[in-house]
Amino acid sequence: MRLPLPTATRQNLLCAAALGLIFLSAPFPRIQPILHATLVLALAPRAGEPIVPALWALAAGWTLEGTLRLYPHLGGTAWADLTLTLLAGWMAARWPLESLKGWITRLAALTLLHTLLVHGAVRLAVGAHPWGYGWLWALVTVPLWGWASWRLLHAGPTPGRR
Amino acid sequence: MAVRAVRWGWSRTRWQRLVLALLWLGQGIWVLLGPNPGRHWTRLAEVVSRPSQSLAARWQGWRANRNLSARDMAEIRAENARLTSELAQLKTQAAQEGPRLAEADAAVRLLGLKQQIPLELKAARVMFSTRPATFGGLILDRGHDLGLVPDQGVLVPEGIVGRLWSVSATQSKVLPADAPNASVAVMLIRSRATGVLQGLGSGRAVIRYVSNQEVVQVGEAVMTSGLDRVFPRGLLVGYVAEVAQGDLELRVVVNLSAPLDRISTVLLLPPQPPLEVQPPFFAPEQKPQRKRGTP
Repeated sequence: MRLPLPTATRQNLLCAAALGLIFLSAPFPRIQPILHATLVLALAPRAGEPIVPALWALAAGWTLEGTLRLYPHLGGTAWADLTLTLLAGWMAARWPLESLKGWITRLAALTLLHTLLVHGAVRLAVGAHPWGYGWLWALVTVPLWGWASWRLLHAGPTPGRR
Repeated sequence: MAVRAVRWGWSRTRWQRLVLALLWLGQGIWVLLGPNPGRHWTRLAEVVSRPSQSLAARWQGWRANRNLSARDMAEIRAENARLTSELAQLKTQAAQEGPRLAEADAAVRLLGLKQQIPLELKAARVMFSTRPATFGGLILDRGHDLGLVPDQGVLVPEGIVGRLWSVSATQSKVLPADAPNASVAVMLIRSRATGVLQGLGSGRAVIRYVSNQEVVQVGEAVMTSGLDRVFPRGLLVGYVAEVAQGDLELRVVVNLSAPLDRISTVLLLPPQPPLEVQPPFFAPEQKPQRKRGTP
């Protein structure tokens, strides 16, 4: 059973809310990577519509690095976010979601890949840099924010439940 | 829109893919440029402009060297002109100072001779020389005013010159030893043979009354013998130039040692000096005594 896609308005509103939370959670370095991963890997990707998710991913990356004020050259995280969002959108079109378990498993794999790609791109942009433990928090809390995003995107009021 | 889509042949999906590719590539290039992306353009500009910069540097260096060489050449020319002027001035100064220096040198040598002869010697300057004329001589600037009298011996550091022939109030005339009518009592330094020196002119003289039995060598020194009571014994007269056997006596030609044509200052012996004078005693310089065992 294929799950219906959320409406674009709903998804964009959720992305905007996540982006605002990323900006506001700059003083909390354990929460910000989780919100960032949620926006890039769960909320922004959309099957068959790559442009808008790409822009949300770029915005997420630039916002994160801009609020970090840590790197001398910004853009590495945004590039990795763009790549992973496009990949997630392609995966969503190629292998449509069927259950929460598959969704969380996919998010865990994408989070791991996202972590490696972000730090690789940042290394390309600015050289050696500290990793911190944000990636670990994001990976550990995959079930939490995976479930939350599942509920927000796919378990809301749908025509079938009416 | 339909016509354009047909003409281009691209669907909306393709356009989306193109935009995504450009977005991804642009972001990736931005990331790869790294911090201070201007440095890449600077480096590229440096690489591109390296030949022209090298050429410009060589051109500037060549111009600088040329200007430096021109300036050096101008400085060298100016210095050369200055040195030439200084050299001319120094030559003029040397020419002006030359006679005075020669006179001072002669005075110093006369002073040395005066210290070696323990007699009361008087000095006079040669005003004029009439030697090229027949019976010519040297005219001195002193006469009776200095207490001079005829037959006083005249000498210079190189040797004897002659004797005073006539004395006036302020001048006196010297009869040189090479004059034909001049005679000086001499002796040979090795054989101790004595004779009378008579002039031959041109700085030469001949010794008469030397026996054939004497052995005389060319180059032997001839000294005054003191028998004429004009010169004391032991003053240098000249050196033997020729020796020839005669009928009764040797013919000994002597080159006078005094430069009779180039005399400016002379010393005059007192009248009838003693036959022999002892040179002044100079105490030898004592060497510092060494202690035994010290180097």
